[in-house]
Amino acid sequence: MSSSTFNFERHVPPVRWTQIAVFAALLLMVGVVGWELHCRHAGYAPTVNDSMELWSARRCAVAPDSVVIIGDSRAWFDLDLDELEKGLGKRPVQLALSGSTVFPVLENLCNDEKFHGTIICSVLPVMYFVPAGPPLKRSQDAVDHYLHQPLSERLDLPLAMFLEQRLAFMNMQELTLEEMLKSLPIPDRVGVAHGPNLPPYFNSMNPERQARMIERCVQPGPLQDLVRRTWPPLFTPPPPPPGVTQEQAMRQFGLAFEQRLKASVSAVERLRQRGGKIVFVRFPCSGPLKELEAKNTPRERTWDVLLRATNVPGIHFEDHPELNAFECPEYSHLKPDDVAEFTRRLVPYLKASL
Amino acid sequence: MVASYVFYGTWNPPFAALLFATTALDFYLGARMGAASEPRARRVWLVVSLVVNLSMLGFFKYGNFLLQNFEGLVGLLGFVYKAPHLDIILPVGISFYTFHSLSYTLDVYSGVIKPTKSLRDFVLAVSFFPQLVAGPIVRAADFLPQCVKAPLWNRDRFLWGLWLMNLGLFEKVVLADALLSGSANSVFGHAAPLCALDAWTGTIAFAGQIFFDFAGYSTCAIGAALCLGFQLKDNFRFPYAAVVFFDFWRRWHISLSTFLRDFLYIPLGGNRGGAGRAAMNLIIVMFLGGLWHGAAWTFVAWGILHGCYLVIERVLIGVFAGKIQASGRLTQVFLGLLTYVAVCVGWVFFRAKDFSTALRLLHSMFNGGGGELILSTREILQVGIVTVLTIIFHWRLKISPSRKRPAGCPAGFSERLGPLWAAPSS
Repeated sequence: MSSSTFNFERHVPPVRWTQIAVFAALLLMVGVVGWELHCRHAGYAPTVNDSMELWSARRCAVAPDSVVIIGDSRAWFDLDLDELEKGLGKRPVQLALSGSTVFPVLENLCNDEKFHGTIICSVLPVMYFVPAGPPLKRSQDAVDHYLHQPLSERLDLPLAMFLEQRLAFMNMQELTLEEMLKSLPIPDRVGVAHGPNLPPYFNSMNPERQARMIERCVQPGPLQDLVRRTWPPLFTPPPPPPGVTQEQAMRQFGLAFEQRLKASVSAVERLRQRGGKIVFVRFPCSGPLKELEAKNTPRERTWDVLLRATNVPGIHFEDHPELNAFECPEYSHLKPDDVAEFTRRLVPYLKASL
Repeated sequence: MVASYVFYGTWNPPFAALLFATTALDFYLGARMGAASEPRARRVWLVVSLVVNLSMLGFFKYGNFLLQNFEGLVGLLGFVYKAPHLDIILPVGISFYTFHSLSYTLDVYSGVIKPTKSLRDFVLAVSFFPQLVAGPIVRAADFLPQCVKAPLWNRDRFLWGLWLMNLGLFEKVVLADALLSGSANSVFGHAAPLCALDAWTGTIAFAGQIFFDFAGYSTCAIGAALCLGFQLKDNFRFPYAAVVFFDFWRRWHISLSTFLRDFLYIPLGGNRGGAGRAAMNLIIVMFLGGLWHGAAWTFVAWGILHGCYLVIERVLIGVFAGKIQASGRLTQVFLGLLTYVAVCVGWVFFRAKDFSTALRLLHSMFNGGGGELILSTREILQVGIVTVLTIIFHWRLKISPSRKRPAGCPAGFSERLGPLWAAPSS
């Protein structure tokens, strides 16, 4: 019946294998060195990639009584772990995710029966109440990855981080083939629907996931301008999908808002029952972005409502002149020189709230 | 063998025990089959092997699918039954290693091989890490003889194996993941009708992605095995240059199609019971082949569609016997492109998450316009260039790739480097 018996020998081409191997090794070496030099010349420096593997590893580092930072990119850029450790007596674990809706991470920690520590949660209303889409997916993916991470990836992470801290071309945010192809100046057809562009590479990160804005973005120039231009589309609600009126969309959003509020109350309650603590923080922003946020997500209809419903203490930068005294170079995040000072000023409020 | 189990265990250590249990059981059943003198007793041991292996596969891979369908069926009969959702983790590679192991008892039963006396060799044959999680499906009859004598290290074979691994990685990481997957994901993940250009681009992007993903992995597996001195057969041979569907299935996932041919199609009667019976056998084989790929009716639809293609083609070949072979190059190319388009239509069912997505996309592909534009010009160009080059390469290389210089490749390339050019056949 079966036609399969072993009579197969793969043909090995009769070529000069040693010379080919030596030539390939040399070519590889020249290519790697050349590409690394080019990337450094173009302004890239070695940085740890903000991968799901690293996020999962930091989530694994959360002890039952840890202080944990969660939220969007503002909590990621604007807090200094050394200053928080000095002020709070414990070194926090940084779990904030740029461009994300924090809720899945908050819920994961609140549902973790072992965890009874402290959560510092950044609330950026335009992100916190997003009902669906990439911001929600980003944090949900991170949680799913943490829950189902294969052992092979945990073993792979130290090697990846070793290389990423030494080689600039390993920047996955902009220097993968896919990302470089995206930046080709090819005009699009008329009528192509685009999602808003994400900001380009403008931060580095250390193995503890502490992000810092790079100097080229701190100084006025093309990169700073480009980053500033990416915020308005990202902070403006998208138009309703085809076939849905503005009123219907608003009604749907209202329902989703209420659901998120209820789910937040329930999650916070579970954390408190185990003795855990939480504080919401609204981090600084500047310029036209501040005005846009105030217009699209007015404080009294978002931040205040969340605080009232959950009965969680909140620290809003606008309520405290010493926290409101910082200018964000690209309107959304603090520059590295300000981060330690901002954190020092924030610590007394955190202590009072917790 | 130890390395293979460590490799598997790094995904989820407890499931290595399941892999070993399947292997040990088939080793035992093979020995009992070999010791049995009565055909009836041999058949009983084979049935035990089939039932246990397929039940294991059925439970882990198809448990929830079967329960959902049972719920739907009793609902149609007027009963209310809410099936529980089983929280089952699907063991990585179970479809492949079940077939690796099953091929042993099937080949022992049919007398192709004698039962091995070495559990170590059999454990290695089933769990050999290059092919363990994503194929090719290596028959015990092909692998066990290589375990009898330890393979000697050979520099040229090792370097050729490394080259194949590099090539496979290039196919998987660069072509499938970086250049094609983005457009396919955008199109298949879009919840509204698309314009025809975008729908076709997403579909041919997936056609390329699945080829480079799967063929790339197979090439890596063949290369890794070769580095260690083991020989695995080709799993893909330029499938997008197939002129007819029978040709396509001789070139696509060859290890599965030969497995299904030898262990399902021929035992069902093959071509022997007349045209009607052969057509029915083809449909059954392709139905099960579709289901093997995933626990969803969309995979079944893909399988049945290919079954129908094969049946219709058989009828047409009967009508036009001899004319296709004798026809000119242009006709061959026309038939090849027709086959490629029909294969792409099949991929829509394979990739879509449900039938409504598949039907919406097919409508977009054939209605000529009116839908949304979601792909950038750069993405369309990227997919177009990769696809055209893939098809040209497949056509140029499908005839004696390892011996002749492909037309158009540089002079002086033939004897020395021609085989490197042609290596994607793996």
